[in-house]
Amino acid sequence: MDIKISEEVANLLKDNGLKAEEMEKVIKDAEESGKKLESKDGSKCLAKAEDDNLTCYALYSASNGGFSLDSGYAHKMKMVGPTGGEFNVEAADEADWICKKCNENAIEANVDMTYLGVTRPGNAIVCPKCGDMYLGEDMVPTIKGAEGILEEKRG
Amino acid sequence: MPAEDFAPINSEWLEKAGNLWTTPFVDKPSERVIVDPILLSHAAALFKKTPKYFWENPDEAARMVCQACELYDITPVGHYLWADYWGQDYGAEIKIQETSPPAITKYPIKEPEDIDKFEVKSPEELKEGPTFKDHFKALDTVLEEYPQMFAPITQLAGPMEVATNWAGIEDVFMWMITEPEIVDKLIGKATEHMVNACKVTAEKYGANVMITGSVVASGDLLEREQIKRFSYEPQCKAVKNVLKAGAGPGVYYHLCGNHTNSFDLWKDAPMSPFTVVQVGNDGKDVFPSGKLVEHFGDRCTCFGVVDTKLIDRGTPRQVYDQTAEQLQAGKDSPRGFIIGSSCECPTYAPPANVHAMVKAAKDYGKYEKF
Repeated sequence: MDIKISEEVANLLKDNGLKAEEMEKVIKDAEESGKKLESKDGSKCLAKAEDDNLTCYALYSASNGGFSLDSGYAHKMKMVGPTGGEFNVEAADEADWICKKCNENAIEANVDMTYLGVTRPGNAIVCPKCGDMYLGEDMVPTIKGAEGILEEKRG
Repeated sequence: MPAEDFAPINSEWLEKAGNLWTTPFVDKPSERVIVDPILLSHAAALFKKTPKYFWENPDEAARMVCQACELYDITPVGHYLWADYWGQDYGAEIKIQETSPPAITKYPIKEPEDIDKFEVKSPEELKEGPTFKDHFKALDTVLEEYPQMFAPITQLAGPMEVATNWAGIEDVFMWMITEPEIVDKLIGKATEHMVNACKVTAEKYGANVMITGSVVASGDLLEREQIKRFSYEPQCKAVKNVLKAGAGPGVYYHLCGNHTNSFDLWKDAPMSPFTVVQVGNDGKDVFPSGKLVEHFGDRCTCFGVVDTKLIDRGTPRQVYDQTAEQLQAGKDSPRGFIIGSSCECPTYAPPANVHAMVKAAKDYGKYEKF
């Protein structure tokens, strides 16, 4: 699979402590499984890989028969489920994304996030059908800020 | 009063109070629930100063608030703000009053036609405006002189509150009936302003707390659908955009007044890991902590309240009893609990009543969950 990573994006990955190979694997797995978000205009995809300590995201687009990585980011807070026990789909705003696996419009909703034994809410992009949860890139500074405070107070 | 006129803050107290304040947000065990009576000009009264003096001197105001925190043994954070923020930046005239907070006397929007022409200030313009000039003077004082009591806030209020600081409340309420679409437009501009204002605080201080909520838009004045349309939904949009702009991570939803008909809407409001929800009244009664925890306890930190009128006019025993009752119903809320007043502590509330809240927290606010 041909995945292009510009110098600018490579530097961003370095700043975020991510490796190109990790991002390539995220994209490859998403393309094989179909488990990803696609922007409503079809121009971008967002895929993720989770382990116990980190959730990594690849924001990418199709390019000359292959793919181009547009951004990569990660967070340590682990998303565990809907805040309050269930998503209120009726009250939620529609996100600019579609869950490719379910072909369902994603919504913006609060999800519980756990880190260092503390569980609190965060606003995420969610598929109301399969319940898959993603953190939008623009919410990363908020979550990183929260992680920093938790590390200072709980670490 | 310059900095040298104040006695130094006791470092042992500060450390202990800091731990109490941290618990509701990070679940780090401490002894008891912290008390936050939302002190502003009440602090001035403790130093024999007037509200006028308080709001005309943001640096001294911040010092007095910090000192009052130690005096009462309450949330160790320096604040300075008032309800009618942001009017002046857009041409409103305000009157600094002797015995109450500053009030707007002339609004920049007088007719519905003015709304189309009304331009929202950019973050750069707001940064140089009168509201931030005073706000930052106070916050910088806390940062320099009381760094451990520094938690920068942006006083956003809600879109309806910002809108009614640009146009008279009676006009906005009339337009809600006669020309609701024009109010949507006004509220849209207030929402845009809120995002720009928060960007300024985030850029200057980094991590911060946005105070938002619904004060004018309460159940005594508006129907649920009106609150939803003109307050809740635009506010959600603003908070999301504020968080996306890098502000936060603190979000404080201050639902002042009677919110029986609408408080549940906020269960789905956008939240960050450090979100607090406070609801003032349930009809004519203080909002029960048990009800607050039932609806919000599995979502965010709950701010239980003691009736501001009671703090102002009640006896210490009445304040003590209500605080104890609210504490017992809320103190072990799963995501943290704070006890405080339902709105700003009245300027001339008896100090014995504020002390009664703290005394009740010491007697009834001990955590059982840790």
